[in-house]
Amino acid sequence: MSSSSGARRTLAELSIPSEPGNERQASEEVAKAVSGLGLPERTLERLKTAVAEATMNAMEHGNRYNPEVPVEIQVWLLEERLLVRIIDRGGSPPPSPNAQRPDLEAKLEGMQTPRGWGLFLIRNMVDDMRVSGNPDHHTVELITYLKSDDDAG
Amino acid sequence: MRQELGGTVLDLRGEINGFAKEALDAAYAAAEAKNPETILLNFEEVDYINSTGIALIVGLLARARASKRRLLAYGLSDHYVEIFNLTRLSDFLSVLPDEESALREASVS
Repeated sequence: MSSSSGARRTLAELSIPSEPGNERQASEEVAKAVSGLGLPERTLERLKTAVAEATMNAMEHGNRYNPEVPVEIQVWLLEERLLVRIIDRGGSPPPSPNAQRPDLEAKLEGMQTPRGWGLFLIRNMVDDMRVSGNPDHHTVELITYLKSDDDAG
Repeated sequence: MRQELGGTVLDLRGEINGFAKEALDAAYAAAEAKNPETILLNFEEVDYINSTGIALIVGLLARARASKRRLLAYGLSDHYVEIFNLTRLSDFLSVLPDEESALREASVS
């Protein structure tokens, strides 16, 4: 069910238990919520990956995979952009959205852990990403412009 | 796992995520035991890869490089081809559209 507040329309509000694998449920539910917007297939796939990765980070690092502590997800339509907010209950400093690009060669040489792709993928899958936090929660905002340059021509 | 003229094919299915680690490692070890020059990863039946799955593929690629084995991937959707390009995985393993082209690529090198 969707609701409106001024120029903001809420497309979905979700509560996802913090259990391994549930990030896919989150991405599918967000995809369902935005299905009426006519997003190009590529944009939708990119959004799904960003939502899945941000939800996985929230479940793992924020909520320590405690199934009783859900990840909250809000999907808002704001005139020319789609905003997905992913909120966990983490108390540590929020992840830096400007974390260093993973170095595949260093990973292949064993100089870096093979992991560490999540934030990199999120940053590259949406038009903008914002991270904020206070002592009892983190919020990651994923922004997709509905008419991006990619859609032109 | 199956043996083809160009190399050993690992037919992957479903989701490549943290839950896939044991199965993927075991399948790769079984393929490695046959000492092929080339191992082909078949993604045709894979519908989801997350960042943990990318890390698992990085691990396989590291093992392949350490043993001077060639790794090829085929059958990825356009979205995951984009992710392989973005992460630079496609700089270190050849990404082909289908099995026919992958086996051809494996045979000529």
